[in-house]
Parts: sequence; C-alpha cells; structure tokens
Amino acid sequence: MSAITFDRVTKRFDNGQEALSEVSAEFDSGSMTFLTGHSGAGKSTFLRLLIGVDVATRGRIYVDGVDIGKLGTRRMPWYRREVGVVFQDHHLLPEHTVFDNVALPLRINHLSEREVTSRVRGALGRVELLGKEHLMPTQLSTGEQQRVGIARAVVGKPKILLADEPTGNLDPQLARSIMKLFSQFNELGTTVIIASHDIGLIESMQMPTVYLLEGRMTQVGETSDV
Amino acid sequence: MSKEANPRPKPATQASRKQWPIPKRRLSWFFADHQRAVSETFKFVSLKLGSSLFVWLLVGIALALPAALRLAQLNFVALDDGWQGRPGLSVYFQVAADSSDIVEVENLLQQNSSTIEVRLTDADQALREFMAASADSESLTTALSTLSANPLPASLQVSVNNQVTVDQLAALRLQLLQKAAVDDVVIEFTWLERLRSLTQLIERLGWILGCLFALGAVLVTAASVRLAIDGRLEELRVLSLVGATRAQIRRPFVYFGVFYGLGGAIVAAMLLAITLSAIETPLTALLGSYDLPVQVRGFDLPFLGSLLLMGLVLGVMGALLAVKQRIRGAQEAIY
Ligand SMILES: Nc1ncnc2c1ncn2[C@@H]1O[C@H](COP(=O)(O)OP(=O)(O)OP(=O)(O)O)[C@@H](O)[C@H]1O
Ligand SMILES: [Mg+2]
Repeated sequence: MSAITFDRVTKRFDNGQEALSEVSAEFDSGSMTFLTGHSGAGKSTFLRLLIGVDVATRGRIYVDGVDIGKLGTRRMPWYRREVGVVFQDHHLLPEHTVFDNVALPLRINHLSEREVTSRVRGALGRVELLGKEHLMPTQLSTGEQQRVGIARAVVGKPKILLADEPTGNLDPQLARSIMKLFSQFNELGTTVIIASHDIGLIESMQMPTVYLLEGRMTQVGETSDV
Repeated sequence: MSKEANPRPKPATQASRKQWPIPKRRLSWFFADHQRAVSETFKFVSLKLGSSLFVWLLVGIALALPAALRLAQLNFVALDDGWQGRPGLSVYFQVAADSSDIVEVENLLQQNSSTIEVRLTDADQALREFMAASADSESLTTALSTLSANPLPASLQVSVNNQVTVDQLAALRLQLLQKAAVDDVVIEFTWLERLRSLTQLIERLGWILGCLFALGAVLVTAASVRLAIDGRLEELRVLSLVGATRAQIRRPFVYFGVFYGLGGAIVAAMLLAITLSAIETPLTALLGSYDLPVQVRGFDLPFLGSLLLMGLVLGVMGALLAVKQRIRGAQEAIY
C-alpha cells in the first residue's frame, strides 16, 4: 500500500559501470508491476536501490513521499520492516527450521510468541507448507524452499513486496503458481514489483511492465500491448 | 500503474517525514532481544565446542600472564613489609666508650622521626651473645674468658621506616660518625634495595606486559568473534534485510565476546592456581631460608573478581572491534 517514485535515478558503480541511467518511474500504491530486461539490464540494481542496500549516484527514490536515500542508517531498519523481499536463491538460514526462518522478521519486530506462531502458520498456509514447519530448509525441494522465502517476505504484512527472479529455477507450472501467490498478496493491497527475464511468464500474467535496456527505461506498458 | 517519464515526486510533507520513525525503545524488547542473543550464543557455542574451548585457552593464557605478574608484584610488596630486618643502621661504639656517650647517641636517634626502633646491645650482652654463638668452639670461649677486659664494643641496632632513602641513611651515618664515641656505622640496606628495585621492575614489567597481553586478549577475542561472524554472514545479511537494527545484529556477537572473555578469565584463574600449587614447595624452601613469610598473598576473591571483570571487558572490547570491522562489509554485501 505504498507509492514508489523513481526520479531520474542513475547508479554508477566505482568501476564506471552505469547500471541505471536516468530512470524515472512511478508505481502506484497497491499496484503490481513486472520489471524486465536482458541479463545485466539493471533489474537487480533497481531493487537494491529500492531496499536501500545501495544508494543512487544521482536522482531520488521516494516511497510514500519519503526520500529513501535520506533515511540514514538508524531509520533504514524501520523502513525495511515494511518491505518484503524474495530472492532468486531464497537466502534461508540452513541452521534454522522452516518455522524459525519465517518467524525471523516477526521476532526482530518483538511480536509475542503467540502472535508469531499464528502469523507464521498463516503465512505457511498461504504457500501450502503447513506441516513442514519443523523441517530444515535442506530437507525441502527447491520450489518449497522458494515458497518458504516468500512466506518470510510476507509474514510481516509488508506494504511493499519485491521479488528478484523469484521463479528463476522453478518449472513453469510452479512458476505460475508462485506468480499467482504474488497477485493474491497484491489483491490484499501490497505494492508488488517483480524482476524477471522470463518474458513468457510475464506475458501470460497480463500485468504492467517496465522494460530496462542497458540501464535505460525503454518501455512501460501492459505486456499485452507489446 | 506505471507512467513514463518525469513523474512529479511527492514533496516530503510533515507527515511523510514521520514515516518509519525510530520508535521509543521498550524494556520488554530489550529483554526479548537479549534473551534471543543468549540462546543464539549457546546454540552457536555448543555447535562449535572445540574451537570455543580453544579460544578460551588462548584468551586464558593471554590473561594469565599479566595476572601472574600482578600476583608476583603483590607478594614482593608483602615481602617488603614483612621483612623482619627492616632497613637500618648498626652503630658500633669505641670499646672504651662512656655509657653517657652511648645514651646521648641513643637519645639522638630516638628523636629522629624516621627511626622506628633503637635497640642497645651493651658490651656485656655482646660478649654473652658472642659466647653463645661460638659455643661450639671451646678454644675461643676459653680464650675470651681469660681476657680481663671485654674486647667487644657496645652497639645500637636502629631500624628506620620504609620511606627513608639511601641518601638520608648515608647522611645520618656521617652525622653519627662525627661523635667521638662512635667507631663505625654500617648501613644495612643492600638486600632491601635489591628487593625494592626488583619490586619496581616487576611493577613496571607488569604494566607493560599487562598492556601487551590485554591487547593480545582483545585481538584473540576479536579474531574469534570475527570467525564466528564469518560463519554467520548469511544470517547477518538476512537480518539486515528484514529490518534488524544495528544493535540487534551486533548483540549476539557481543555475547560471544562476554562468553569468550569470561571463559578465558576462568581458564586464567585455573592456570594460576595450578602454577601456584606447583611452585609452592620450592618457594617455601627459598623464602623460608630468608626467614620470610611463605604464604602467597593476593590470590583471593577480589583478585579473582577483578580477573573475571577484566576478561569480560576485554572480551566485549574484542567483540565490538570485530563487529565494527565486519558488519559494515557484510551489510554492503547483502543481496
Ligand atoms: N557491485 C557492482 N560493481 C560494478 N558493476 C556492477 C555491480 N553490480 C552490478 N554491476 C553491473 O551493473 C549492471 C546491472 O546489473 P544487475 O545485477 O542490476 O543486472 P540484472 O538486470 O539484475 O541482470 P540479471 O538478469 O542477470 O540478474 C551489470 O552490467 C553489472 O555488471
Ligand atoms: Mg539480477
């Protein structure tokens, strides 16, 4: 439920590589958008800037009117608690159970253990993993691991949900079911941005899409328009 | 819906500047975080028991050395205090010295503020002591008893307090030598001076080595915590991404520091106890021969307490150092 604005954002790395050049885009509160382009187009960089992991060289990024670049290290964590992130390689903690992995954001946020339990079970229910709470991540299939990652991203009821190649190594059928999950969360009001280069999948979703080409925004529109 | 080009950024209004504020901390959060950190520490340590024990030993040795020096220093000071034959002078009178002259010198010394005790051994007493001491040698005692006059002089044994310097003693000696009745004045300070310079040496050495070893303990702990962090970089990244504050990320590692520091201090105390019991017999023999107090002092509760505190502080310092070095890099490497 948050509006995101990129205002002429440029990201140049120390080695001179310009990953994003003068990118301007607006994402309405409660929208769901795909971010696509070839490998190296700057999709991950776009998301990294939005999470505040990296800072823009030029330009500004506003979330609900607040310049993310000006949050500072002390306020940044509180912003991140409202942003759920799903990675291509899920980043689950191998020494923790599925339950503890999903519970992590809630425990950071000091929810009571009772609330933690009910919310974690709710999130695992959504990704159809109830009953596997006490397994370790290594005991799950790739698709299940990815779903645990999604459960962790949404368990804190974030206002923004970002995903970087969430279906990268999943079979097409699983990929579609995961995309459906994202649109379900979107229907609950979450602003969703999904980076993916899986054009076929994106087209099948009929969603607004931002195209990046070598760091420049080339096109914005519904995939069906193209 | 996404729109092309030049979107008007919404101005940062008063309300939006209040977005994602840093909330007031709550005590229950504090306890919950610490409880989590402690259980994390135990979990991690029990997983890596071997390397944890190794760290304990390293920190323990680094702490034991300055602690041992401190003990040695305490005991040398104790020796200094407990030494029966305090610094002092022996004043030997002429054989023919008048008893009134002797009393005059005795009074003079007693008025001196630095003297603690003045003990007179008159000629007869000296002879008796000499006879007793040489009782084995029959020829000597018979020779002495045949003498009509006592050949031994009267003497004064003067002990002075610890603040008296060698120079002051020497000045006092010269002053006494000017009296006609005084034959010789002998300063007894050699053994004491040695002891004092030894104490001083040990004290300085203790400070220098103490600082070096403390630094060593900090670095060892820092290195261990850094290893622990490296083993958990992934966790750091995830924590940072889901919005853990810097303090929340740092906390488990500070507990590692506490754990390693306290463990190291316990190992150091054990090492010291073992060492003390090992050197007790030879030390007793050595000190006993000098008529010195044998009890090793200072290895007591306050000493152990400060050792633990020291370990704790050094461990936490090491941990903070390591965390400072590592967390920034880890956060940059997030995702
Ligand atoms: N830390 C970095 N230092 C220098 N250059 C970088 C860095 N990170 C990314 N780049 C460069 O920036 C460009 C964009 O990278 P980015 O990861 O955003 O691409 P992407 O669109 O996510 O690609 P992919 O689909 O393969 O994930 C690439 O050319 C990459 O080499
Ligand atoms: Mg990428």
